[in-house]
Amino acid sequence: MATSKGANTYNRQNWEDSDFPTLCQTCLGDNPYIRMMKDKYGMECKVCERPFTVFRWCPGARMRFKKTEVCQTCAKLRNICQTCLLDLEYGLPTQVRDAALKVHESMPKSDVNKEFYTQNMEREIANSDGTTAVGPYAGGGKSQNSHEMLMKLARTAPYYKRNRPHVCSFWVKGECKRGEECPYRHEKPTDPDDPLSDQNIRDRYYGINDPVAEKLMSRYSTLPKLEPPEDKSVCTLYVGNLGEDEITETDLRNYFYQFGELRAVSLVIRQQCAFIQFTTRAAAEEAVEKTFNKLVMHGRRLNIKWGKSPGQTADGGGNLVDTGPALPPCESLLCLCISVASSLFQLFLLLLASWTTSACTLLPWQVCPCRDHCLPLPLWRHWLLLQDVSKPDKCSHQFCISCFLQPFGCHPLPLG
Amino acid sequence: MPKVKRSRKPPPDGWELIEPTLDELDQKMREAETESHEGKRIVEALWPIFRIHHQRSRYIFDLFYKRKAISRELYDYCLKENIADKNLIAKWKKPGYENLCCLRCIQTRDTNFATNCVCRVPKTKLEEGKIVECVNCGCRGCSG
Repeated sequence: MATSKGANTYNRQNWEDSDFPTLCQTCLGDNPYIRMMKDKYGMECKVCERPFTVFRWCPGARMRFKKTEVCQTCAKLRNICQTCLLDLEYGLPTQVRDAALKVHESMPKSDVNKEFYTQNMEREIANSDGTTAVGPYAGGGKSQNSHEMLMKLARTAPYYKRNRPHVCSFWVKGECKRGEECPYRHEKPTDPDDPLSDQNIRDRYYGINDPVAEKLMSRYSTLPKLEPPEDKSVCTLYVGNLGEDEITETDLRNYFYQFGELRAVSLVIRQQCAFIQFTTRAAAEEAVEKTFNKLVMHGRRLNIKWGKSPGQTADGGGNLVDTGPALPPCESLLCLCISVASSLFQLFLLLLASWTTSACTLLPWQVCPCRDHCLPLPLWRHWLLLQDVSKPDKCSHQFCISCFLQPFGCHPLPLG
Repeated sequence: MPKVKRSRKPPPDGWELIEPTLDELDQKMREAETESHEGKRIVEALWPIFRIHHQRSRYIFDLFYKRKAISRELYDYCLKENIADKNLIAKWKKPGYENLCCLRCIQTRDTNFATNCVCRVPKTKLEEGKIVECVNCGCRGCSG
């Protein structure tokens, strides 16, 4: 390996000089105003061993100073934070991420091969526009299923506890004389026999033998699953943790409508829960599968369970309105009306649109479309897609019926 | 340091009154100089020196400006003989610097972000319960 910059420039290994580090939210800390120290060629990268630009900063009050550990090329190749080596998107170890995305890449680990590989990759990064991934993750390689696993394991909020000072080694030996002033933590250290306390930065980078990843994978395999009840007539879901006045019946109706027709939605405000009854068992099962332990509404993680079967309601089923599968699907009637009305509107608007000569679909008497109070996607039926007939790919604005009937936000002027 | 006698002139009147205290401080300084560094952090080694230096300058400063116990001649003599640090005393006359611990703590050129030492931050501006012990001289806060 070249250890210094000599006069010979032929095929010389590049020393990395960067202006800004690649970091995750957690490592940056909670303070939006950060002062960083930049040290050009300050250290060698802990993976590729080339000198790189080290950044050092304090991620908030009572946190330890952090610095970048691997060079930016190495970080970009694996899409990880330069400091914590966790994935930038999900905050997960590379081993977990690769297992979920099913990316099998083999980065060379021996000296010369590694140099050659880094050189090639650096050239590729320089040639790319910086918005797409380079290297083993170029294709994306995401399948819906693996994505779900990542979403389940990923953190939703930054984990600032990771930035705390280390445990005071003097205190552990009982020799710390600094007392209150000691900037290190005076806490019981982790058990040295714990596999998590034996981590290696290179293994973490390459995603092999990572104890944290193994812990996460085992946690994923033992995640609780909700078993559908034996009684096939149960089509009701219990939704808990609604909070006070935060989630309305409309919200629930709008959300759960995507899985199938709803027969009834009953909200029990006093107990902050709701019961959602589907017309079919299949819809209910799909809803449970898609929402159990996943549904977050207005920042609250909702608690999903199966409703009790009619036989069980007597012993504490609560306000469950479960009247069996014989009821007519009342919801679908309404939908039918709406869709008929919507198609009429569509016809009418298409006519209008064909009259106008503007390139865009915005009719002359319309203000901006009501993007602000967009309804969630499952309600697409209630929406009209308005498009310029002559240039269908030019632009497409969505308007909702309710906007025309009871305009708020945007005011389509009267037609007169 | 009053080790080397620079002037042959006899000290002004009143010298015999302050001499015992100065000798005592001198003795303390000697002890601090010869003290072992065992078990101390690197930065901690110089803290007692800074403290005694501050104490000695403060003694002269107080005698002349606060208690008005010594004459102008004697005060000038102390400054000239480097018994008191005249640069430090010059700072003490400025508002906001009345209790300044040492000159290194206000030397902004020596820090990464051109800031003063943490001991220069007023107690009210510090976060609750934070205990400060500055690296330069071990000061625990010298600004209100």
